[in-house]
Amino acid sequence: MISVGDLTKRFGSKLAVDHLGFEVRPGVVTGFLGPNGSGKSTTMRCMLGLDRPEAGVALFDGTPYHDLKRPLHEVGALLDAGYVHPGRSARNHLRWLAASNGIARSRVDEVLEMVGLTSVAGSRLRSYSLGMRQRLGLAGVLLGDPHTIILDEPANGLDPEGIRWIRDVLTHLARQGRTVLVSSHQLSEMALMAEDLVVIGQGRLIEQSTVDSFVDRYADHWVRVQSPTAETLVGSLTAAGALVTNVAANTLDIRGLDCVAVGEMAARQQLVLHELSAQTGSLEDAFLKATAAAQEYISTGLAAQ
Amino acid sequence: MINLLRSEWIKLRTVTMNWVLAIIAVAFPLLVTLLTAFFSGDDAGFNTRDLASVLTGTTVVTALLCGVIAAASITSEFGFGTIRPTFAATPQRIEVIIAKGVVVVAATTLLATAVMLIGWLAGSNIAGSRGATIDLADVPTAIPAMVGVVVLTALMSLAGYGFGLITRSTPIAVSILIVWPLIAEGLVGALLSVVTGNDNIGVWMPFQAGIRLVLVESFGDGGPSRVVSGGYFGAVVLALVALGSWAVDRRDA
Repeated sequence: MISVGDLTKRFGSKLAVDHLGFEVRPGVVTGFLGPNGSGKSTTMRCMLGLDRPEAGVALFDGTPYHDLKRPLHEVGALLDAGYVHPGRSARNHLRWLAASNGIARSRVDEVLEMVGLTSVAGSRLRSYSLGMRQRLGLAGVLLGDPHTIILDEPANGLDPEGIRWIRDVLTHLARQGRTVLVSSHQLSEMALMAEDLVVIGQGRLIEQSTVDSFVDRYADHWVRVQSPTAETLVGSLTAAGALVTNVAANTLDIRGLDCVAVGEMAARQQLVLHELSAQTGSLEDAFLKATAAAQEYISTGLAAQ
Repeated sequence: MINLLRSEWIKLRTVTMNWVLAIIAVAFPLLVTLLTAFFSGDDAGFNTRDLASVLTGTTVVTALLCGVIAAASITSEFGFGTIRPTFAATPQRIEVIIAKGVVVVAATTLLATAVMLIGWLAGSNIAGSRGATIDLADVPTAIPAMVGVVVLTALMSLAGYGFGLITRSTPIAVSILIVWPLIAEGLVGALLSVVTGNDNIGVWMPFQAGIRLVLVESFGDGGPSRVVSGGYFGAVVLALVALGSWAVDRRDA
């Protein structure tokens, strides 16, 4: 269990993290979402004691990170896969990390095997692609077999197979009862992987909930109807106060009425329906709506042109 | 602490640049000393003092290069970002700083000791075989000067480490390490002697004081003794490391 309370971090005049508090429960993957510049990485660095917060605390099973005696056995963290010396080999990179926490050398070879880097373990890291470095970073996370895992954008640079692999690894680790906090911009991946969400914007907590309730609360909901006589239905739907959009031939999207109301209306008019379904927007839609007011960088140019 | 020492030792020995600098640091003084012993060993005037002077004089380069190794041992961590996994693995930053300092100073001190021993033993043998008379008893300051080289190397390593902790940048730390003793202190010392009217004030410039550790010639300039100047330089260097450690402990990693 991770408990973050009243975390505050300022860089000069900019308030990067603003009295942020949330909890991450074990047994599920928790997505940590926010627009660029919202303070996700800063929050993670503060949680690990790498950045010094002005106020607040992050507790790992009740203990501040600084008080952990052998942190790699408690918390595995990957903040940036690029934090490696390019002249070192992957094996030596993991060896110094393992040695610092009294982890046996044999464990280094085990985690290299787990992430599929055994064959290139002796190569210098300057020859590694970003995807390989992500795998190495995950090997470092797994070194101490920790019960809490924190990853910042772990899927960056991974190919589709790698993305699927990391999703499977993280869901597997969560099912083992570990606490897993993952930040990512790949919302489709997050939708597949995460069960809980912590959403922040401009350093403040916007929402903490399950993915389902977040989407339910923020995403658009509508009813889709397909009928060879769809046009016949439009008048009565509009009269009932619905907002009707003709999205394709014989296909209507209806907002303001639910499936039951639309179905009964069609039945009264004895219309044949080929589809009557409730539709919900994606996690991406919900995220964009939830964070619209907290976007740090807003593009007004290229897409509009 | 043992775990940290092991970790820092792995870091130090798995960077190629450290080996390159260490090889140069060892090879340069040995090459110059042994070639001098070989080619000048049969000169009529070549004696113990000459051999000791060449060896200790050229080993100043070893001390400087060891300072560069020490500076890079911490600045490269900031440069490549490995300081973050380092502090994440060991949140007690001061312990990390101490462990890294101990490892790098121990390694460079060992290097300087090896250079001294090999340089003297091989040099005296070569010069002796060429006809020179080499006997440490002839020059009482020779052994203190050679011990001084080892101490100077340790202190230069600490100085480099201190500059590295303060600046967190390899180019800046190495530039200061080279420019300060070789140029800045000369200028500042000259300026101060003009301002104060004390021609001898230069001996109290920290690195100039440190260099006195390795002098074979008798001082005779009214300046501090070998032990006092070494202690003074050591105090300045420890103050640098303490300042750097405090800064690293307080700042964001």
